[in-house]
Amino acid sequence: MAALATLASHAPSSLDHLIWRGDRLATATAPGLPTGHALLDAALPGGGWPVGALTELLVPHAGVGELGLLLPVLARTPAGRWAVCIAPPGQPYAPALAAAGVPLERLLMVQAESPAHARWAARQALNSHSCGVILLWLADADMGALRRLQLAAEESATTLILIRPASAASQPSPAVLRVALASCSGGLELRILKRRGPQLAGPLGIDLPWPGGAPRPGRATHPPRPTAASPQSSIHALVRPLPARPGPASLHAGAQ
Amino acid sequence: MARGVAAGHSRAGALALAPDLCLIERDLRQELATLTDIASWAGCFTPSISLDPPDTLLLEIEASLRLFGGLAPLCDAIRAGLDELGFTAQLAVAPTPLAARWLARGAAGSLLQTPAGLPDALAPLPLGLLAHENTVGADSLELLAGIGARCMADVRRLPRSGLARRQAGAVITLLDRAYGVLPDPRPWFVPPEHYSSRLPLPAPSDQTDILLFGLRRLLAGLSGWLDARQAGLERFTLVLEFERLGSIHRGHEAESRIEIVLGALSQDMARFQLLTREHLSRKALPAPVEALRLEADAPRPMAPPRTDFFDVQASEDNDPGLLLATLRARLGNAAVHCLAPHPDHRPEHAWRQTDPQASALQPGAALRTAALPSAPRPLWLLPEPRPIACPAPQNILAGPERIESGWWDGNDGEICRDYFVARRQDHSLVWVFRDSKAPHGWFLHGYFS
Repeated sequence: MAALATLASHAPSSLDHLIWRGDRLATATAPGLPTGHALLDAALPGGGWPVGALTELLVPHAGVGELGLLLPVLARTPAGRWAVCIAPPGQPYAPALAAAGVPLERLLMVQAESPAHARWAARQALNSHSCGVILLWLADADMGALRRLQLAAEESATTLILIRPASAASQPSPAVLRVALASCSGGLELRILKRRGPQLAGPLGIDLPWPGGAPRPGRATHPPRPTAASPQSSIHALVRPLPARPGPASLHAGAQ
Repeated sequence: MARGVAAGHSRAGALALAPDLCLIERDLRQELATLTDIASWAGCFTPSISLDPPDTLLLEIEASLRLFGGLAPLCDAIRAGLDELGFTAQLAVAPTPLAARWLARGAAGSLLQTPAGLPDALAPLPLGLLAHENTVGADSLELLAGIGARCMADVRRLPRSGLARRQAGAVITLLDRAYGVLPDPRPWFVPPEHYSSRLPLPAPSDQTDILLFGLRRLLAGLSGWLDARQAGLERFTLVLEFERLGSIHRGHEAESRIEIVLGALSQDMARFQLLTREHLSRKALPAPVEALRLEADAPRPMAPPRTDFFDVQASEDNDPGLLLATLRARLGNAAVHCLAPHPDHRPEHAWRQTDPQASALQPGAALRTAALPSAPRPLWLLPEPRPIACPAPQNILAGPERIESGWWDGNDGEICRDYFVARRQDHSLVWVFRDSKAPHGWFLHGYFS
């Protein structure tokens, strides 16, 4: 056992991604898709949304901030690729998206009559290898359907982000990253429920960009300190300190 | 066959041997159409094709040998291709067209490449083969049989002048052509500009799988036609011909046309099939389908797919047009669209659904930008404003922004509203407005994130 431990600690860096120690973030084989939020990037293995894997965003209701969180990714859709929105629950508003710098001619909106159609469209988008990011709104899905999506995502090396109701948080999921969203004054509060790494001590506060670069209205001058570690994370011996929150100006600069 | 019925029997004779025989009228026109279909397809092997009705196709393959890696691989490819089309053929290769035809009939499978072997190969062929030639009369054949000639070699041994004097000159000419003594020029087949191929199904069916199986044969033919022209298609039409009885009685259309848009110039049959499958699976068939017809025109010249010597991965599988065409085939055109801002001050009218263009994905494509309002706009817009209670003053964070007028769209377009950014209980931001018209109600119109 001791020999094994020595081997692990002296393993060359090329083997790093094969060995994951529980107290560290896993080193992703492929770098992630930068989220556009420095704080979130730092908390995610690979430094962004996982590529070639399923990510779940759990939202209490539509419009809580999921689209705002994903705007930087949509805005950075590379030329020659689609960004696909499948079965959005409402109407994403073109003028606001354009103002945020989203290339609308590369943003494909797909309406689906049923969840089965939506999942089919997502698999087609994954298999086509022509998408930068795929957003899929899915109200309910069983484990088998999610697993098939995860496998399809693994094969295609595309980022698939599933947006599901918060009630799905208690259900098991093959997603490698699960993030619960809640709105707070000034932006979003993210709780990372599952990632390839240790549990995060508390929620992450993310400032959402506001059109025009002005501070978001309603933002408290002193943002509330993150609450104490949530019950499920307290079982972990290692609690990462929450990085200091940068000021709003620098975040806005980063997001644009 | 088991009861002794063979080719060449008269109708009465055959019926005497097997009274329950089912006789099918021979359709020469259909045979010729089929032969033309096969000729169109065979364009993928050589540009020099000649029809030899009723049942023979001549391909000049000398120039194609190197491309296909030799005679045997080429013959295998032709046989496999014909199998896919649903035909079986007897192949033979010879230096002259007539010799090739006779060998295919009399000794299928002989592959003769040099003229030197021609006399030996043709010698044992029976004279009966000549009966299929138009120029040779039955009396000439009778005469030769009477002399005691049984095979080609026997005729060659007879004195030419004597045969010519006995009205069998045509036989000599034919043999000379077959042996390569006389030239035998043939008219080349010109593939049609407009492709149309029909496949009657063995039995009417409304099963998609069976239709797809039939379609595979049609597509194989189309593939050859495209290969011969080095062209690709952007769209083609599949016509489903319904059972005639059903269509008269039940009053539906006799046929149904499905237009299949490929999303890009393509000659990839897998793509053709995939998209057709999507279209078929969405289509409700009113009656069993009797025959399939494939129609295509306007082929456009297409360079063979570019392959990168160093980076194989990058050049394959990245086809934005295919995704678009696939999604539209299953979900319908309206369900897949792009968004664009529209120059109008009223929120509901400030955006449009647009047709996605795969070409717009290219880096050089220009982005049309409409003038955007400087005031904040929500990321989600509700299709209909939802009435809400009057928000508390401390929850109203920004505003008002007055948006009014729109008389040019009639009463529905006329608005007069004061918009505010408001905070909900969970701190999320919403876009609300107060109607300046009579009941002065408050409405929720969008979410900001």
